[in-house]
Amino acid sequence: MHIAPWFLIVGLVLILWGFTAVFQKLSTNYISAESTLVLRTVGFLVFMPFIYPRGELFHRSAHSLGYGSLAGFLSALGCLGLFAAMKKGGKASIVGPLSALYPIIVVILSPFVLHESITALQGLGVLFGLIAVVLLSI
Amino acid sequence: MAVWFWWLLFCLACWGPYALLSKLGSNEISAAGMQVLNALGSIPVVLVVLARGGFKLEKSRKGIIYGLTAGVLSAAGNMGFFAAFRSGGNASVVTTATGMYPVVTVLLALAFLRERLTRVQVLGLGFATAAFFIFSH
Repeated sequence: MHIAPWFLIVGLVLILWGFTAVFQKLSTNYISAESTLVLRTVGFLVFMPFIYPRGELFHRSAHSLGYGSLAGFLSALGCLGLFAAMKKGGKASIVGPLSALYPIIVVILSPFVLHESITALQGLGVLFGLIAVVLLSI
Repeated sequence: MAVWFWWLLFCLACWGPYALLSKLGSNEISAAGMQVLNALGSIPVVLVVLARGGFKLEKSRKGIIYGLTAGVLSAAGNMGFFAAFRSGGNASVVTTATGMYPVVTVLLALAFLRERLTRVQVLGLGFATAAFFIFSH
């Protein structure tokens, strides 16, 4: 059976982010969510010297550099929004699963922004995936 | 609507475009380059958080170690996320598939914390398995 390279990489991401969630939970047992967000970025910076692509970034267009840095900005801002939702009375058991529904936005906007479409079968997979995340987070 | 719900919508409004921009950037920049930019992009938000707290850090050693470990693991996972986009993965499928990481978290809790699965979680694992099976084809 042929398995696409991206699918194998996704398996690795799942393991890494699965462990990330465990350590984040452990961290928030001792410090605030805001401090955990700060340490997340410190962790990014600690990791940076090991992966820094020497010279590569200087030869890229401004808009591609903008995509990468704006993505990081929005990722961190989204975390802040999540913490704020919980602080303003949203129950973690409700806010958590609902926040995991962000792929819906990607599915809706992809055809317009990326000119990508998905097959009916992939759509079913996306639906199952979203249901799974909500059920597992309850 | 409750205030918390608006914040939740704000979160979704950030993370959806985050994934789209990640795909756009990964089309042109390596996964390592994207992660470097990701780290730099998150600094302004972190500075605001630090400023609001008067630049005081909490001193729990365990909390710091766990938080830092989470940050490094998250960074490595991000690189995989960008690499999956770069190797031709469809944005909707990759975003949904990687968003299923709670599967691993639940399995870890089962293995190491000896937690028991609820019926709802078992159902969730079933849906996740079906989704992976579909995506693998």
